[in-house]
Amino acid sequence: MSFRKPSVLPGFGLTLGFTTFFLSAIVLLPLAALVLAAGSMHWSEFVAVVSSARALGSYRLSFGASALAASINVVFGFILAWTLVRYEFPGRKLIDALIDLPFALPTAVSGIALTTVFAQHGWIGRYLEPLGVRIAYTWLGVTLALTLISMPFAVRALQPALLEVQRDLEDAAETLGATRFYTFRRVILPTVLPALLTGFTLAFARAVGEYGSVIFIAGNLPMKTEITPLLIVIHLEQFDYRGAAALGVVMLLMSFAVLLTINLLQAWGRRRHVRAAH
Amino acid sequence: MAAALPAGAPPADSTGRPGHDTWPSALVRWLFIAVSLAFLAALLIAPVATVFAMALAHGFEAYLTSFADPDTLAAIRLTLITAAVVVPVNTVFGLAAAWAIAKFEFRGKSVLITLIDLPLAISPVISGMVFVLLFGLHGWFGVWLQRHDISIIFALPGIMLATMFVTFPYVARELIPLMQQLGNDEEEAAITLGAGGWMTFFRVTLPRIRWGLLYGVILSNARAMGEFGAVSVVSGHIRGLTNTMPLHIEILYNEYNFVGAFAVASLLTLLAGLTLVVKNLVERTGYRGR
Amino acid sequence: MSITLEQITKRYGGVPVVNDVSLHIGDGEFFVLLGPSGSGKSTLLRAIAGLTAVDHGRIALHGRDVTRVAARKRGVGLVFQNYALFRHMTVADNIEFALRVRHMRARRRRERRQELLRLVSLVGLDDRLPAQLSGGQQQRVAVARALAHEPEVLLLDEPFGALDAKIREELRRTIREVQRELGITTVLVTHDQEEAFAMADRIGIMNLGRLLESGAPHELYSRPATRFVATFLGAANLFLARSSAGSIQLGAATVAAGEPPSDAREHEVVAVVRPEEVAVAATRAALGPAFVGAGVVDEMVFSGALERLRVRLENGAAAPLLATADGAAATCLEVTRTQHEQRAFALRAGQSVAIGVRRVHVLPTPLSSFAACAASAPEAETLARQPLLAELAARMKTRIAVRCEPQLGAAGERTAADAPFVGATVIASEAGAAQRAAWLLERGASEVLVLPAQAAEPQRVLIHWLDEAARAATLAVSASVLRHVPAEAVYVGILPEETRAAPRRHGLRWLLEARSEAQAVHGLEMRTELRFGEVAQELARRLAEAPGEMLIVGVSDLERFAERFGALLDGGRWPVLIVHRAARGTVGASP
Repeated sequence: MSFRKPSVLPGFGLTLGFTTFFLSAIVLLPLAALVLAAGSMHWSEFVAVVSSARALGSYRLSFGASALAASINVVFGFILAWTLVRYEFPGRKLIDALIDLPFALPTAVSGIALTTVFAQHGWIGRYLEPLGVRIAYTWLGVTLALTLISMPFAVRALQPALLEVQRDLEDAAETLGATRFYTFRRVILPTVLPALLTGFTLAFARAVGEYGSVIFIAGNLPMKTEITPLLIVIHLEQFDYRGAAALGVVMLLMSFAVLLTINLLQAWGRRRHVRAAH
Repeated sequence: MAAALPAGAPPADSTGRPGHDTWPSALVRWLFIAVSLAFLAALLIAPVATVFAMALAHGFEAYLTSFADPDTLAAIRLTLITAAVVVPVNTVFGLAAAWAIAKFEFRGKSVLITLIDLPLAISPVISGMVFVLLFGLHGWFGVWLQRHDISIIFALPGIMLATMFVTFPYVARELIPLMQQLGNDEEEAAITLGAGGWMTFFRVTLPRIRWGLLYGVILSNARAMGEFGAVSVVSGHIRGLTNTMPLHIEILYNEYNFVGAFAVASLLTLLAGLTLVVKNLVERTGYRGR
Repeated sequence: MSITLEQITKRYGGVPVVNDVSLHIGDGEFFVLLGPSGSGKSTLLRAIAGLTAVDHGRIALHGRDVTRVAARKRGVGLVFQNYALFRHMTVADNIEFALRVRHMRARRRRERRQELLRLVSLVGLDDRLPAQLSGGQQQRVAVARALAHEPEVLLLDEPFGALDAKIREELRRTIREVQRELGITTVLVTHDQEEAFAMADRIGIMNLGRLLESGAPHELYSRPATRFVATFLGAANLFLARSSAGSIQLGAATVAAGEPPSDAREHEVVAVVRPEEVAVAATRAALGPAFVGAGVVDEMVFSGALERLRVRLENGAAAPLLATADGAAATCLEVTRTQHEQRAFALRAGQSVAIGVRRVHVLPTPLSSFAACAASAPEAETLARQPLLAELAARMKTRIAVRCEPQLGAAGERTAADAPFVGATVIASEAGAAQRAAWLLERGASEVLVLPAQAAEPQRVLIHWLDEAARAATLAVSASVLRHVPAEAVYVGILPEETRAAPRRHGLRWLLEARSEAQAVHGLEMRTELRFGEVAQELARRLAEAPGEMLIVGVSDLERFAERFGALLDGGRWPVLIVHRAARGTVGASP
């Protein structure tokens, strides 16, 4: 088997060469620098940095809040996706278009806007204050910001899956005597499960790395409301490049694990949908 | 993956059925719509409205005046220059990558696609940091660069590199599925009819992918102008010199200059709105459904 | 369990996709709904299952009205074209789904599952996932799943559509066996006539939302009532023929009618000759009275047991031939011959032969063909190209003749027209149309269609007759028109203004009688409306109420016709079809 299948179209060498070169120069080389910088550390030094109390506190917040945000998005994302796919109501198309807004909106803008809305005297914060709920400058705020920026990922992963749930499946369940709720629980939910998990993972991956929107709404107190990316920035500002690189490698490994999970989930979802050849 | 999916798909046929127009399903329906709207209102609409409310808190004049600040103007200029360099480079890369991946079958293709998507999975802070590690004072090339008096980190080149890193997948990942779906038939026909490679590209391929390309470029531009984390790490926050618009927002906000901060934010919000409008127009042309 | 449908109507966006369908399916019967795609058959099946609400009508299962009952309480089993198996469940879980819903004990469930797997010959595949089965096996699982809860009605929606020919054959046999064994009332939807013949006790044929005919397969094949059924079910050669007492005139030849004609007067009819009823011989003498003309063998196709010929008719014998089912040019006859016939008389392409017909079936349709008629030839030709007329003629598989009558509408003595008016005569709706219509009716045209240039396909056909003498003919013509347009039929009864107060009962009875006659004789379902006032004025008012209306009006008395109907016909925006039958005992106007 040769490297590529023959084709009459020209430009393969040029475009692939350029792509590979550019990719290497802009992405792979710098990433290699990161790994090498961390690798130049002594093992004990590395362990000391990545398992310091402050680092552990930041992981707890980053991963915990991201998991919580992704869970919230799976629940509300399902409701949103269901509403957009199944119901017709005025403004549906507008809402559908708005889902992508957090994706296009700069994170700094989301950050200051969310902080203002949920601050003590903000539009929503002022109603939560008497209830004893404080969002801005707490871990709740971090979760909220992460929920906002990762929301499109969950909704857009679920929407096509829900569109694809054939009406026939629900019809079949109904003629077999199932109630709407039973059909939902035993037919629809299991069918969209791969998409639900993919949505969770995508949202989680986006949330873990987030920086811009969080630093405004988090109080940035060490051990309490300090996320891992912020800790990296702090290391960098103190010119502790190696410490920053060590934490960066931890996060990078996390990203790879998540990417792998996404690929596995998508393969699983595809496998279940493969039909035997007629 | 999020932005690659079409919005505005029509709801499935919801013809009434016997025994279905009962109150529980109507209740569920309205509950779902209400929850969806409340969720979006709190999380999306209120913040966006706040941006404009705060920017205009002291009237339209104060809003306009805030742009007269030389530092703000410098930030806007820097952002525009960065985008003017980064977006064309990314566009060329995206076209080349999409051509190689969509038009040919070769080994290692899926690895290449994963690598192109890599920057989307990496924290922006890390994206900035890698350039600090390379070109910073204590980085690999730090000493050499200092000796030759070339500044990359805390200067324009660093900002451009970090932005490029963060935004370069967008054009490619918009084009690859589109070009795969369109297939090779027309290009092959053109080549067998004697057209050259460039002519085939400009006369056959480009007209068919122009809407997808447009959205990829616009999205890439919006992300480039709005990038915060990566740029924040490499910029050094030098007012009037290395502050892009998002960084300038941070400084103004931390100085409690809310009108100024939100005024700049309002520009970026409008850009985001424009991006969404283009996305929807592009989808309405139905380029995916062909 | 029997299934009874009464006047089922389902509209999407105002257009009826199932149009006034009434049907009774007996206990244990295997009924096949056959029709082209878009004919409404699947919608009708979903309505029976309870997956689609109907806009009008009643559905009863064994006498129990289930029109408003949810699908899950109807006790029906439904099998889908794409199987619709639950892909995350094993075969066992799929089959047991309906039993779990009903909280059946695990042991009892297992027993039932084994029973069903045996029934569909899939024993031992319990733990497979649907993705691990072939298409045919998946559909067997779907059948077993649909039968698990012992439904009393089994519904199959194109169940073999996604399968290849061999598997299809096997599965057909399995389903037929299962159906016989269980004695379950079954409705199968398909567009494949061969499948319908192979499986059905009775076939119902749908087109444009209407159930055109239903009956035993051989009945429908040998005695179709409509052009659609004649050509959809098997191949057919259609002729325009003239029927007079006891005989059918096909071009120059006269052949004996298969059935006694329903109408004694001489008139144009549509005759069906099946390809296997065409006889081919070397000489005219060999055919005897069956001879209809000479022809040349155009094309021969060997297709196994049968030989298929296309024979071009010569010397004007092709004139009465209408388009064949596949829309081929109307100069060739389709002929099939058995091996036996082939041996008796071998043929080659290009050979001249004598052609005869062994059996002619006359369709009881009153609308045989159209003639676009105007005072000048160009006008008549323009009229013949009117889109609605062209569409109607294409759907009826008939032709539009062009006829020039320079004297059209002119006052003057009635003279015998040089050629009799056959079929429906079409004139343009413009000033003086009423005068022209009267002129034609007086000269023997029995159907006159007054057509506006802009008329589009009607959504509603209003039916009215002025005299009882015209009733039967009006209903027959209406039924014929309605088989070819997806419109609703509305009978408009009109009583004089002064009767508004009192004799309601008389009017109502009239309406109901008209409705039941339409139903009984023509299988035509219609709604009824009662209005008060002067007939032509009321009709004009009713036509103006909504766009997309068409009127079919029966008359027997032509006295002051133009005067009375001027308002309705002179430049009206709606098509009006006038059906004229002279009252018995009076002297007809025809020459």
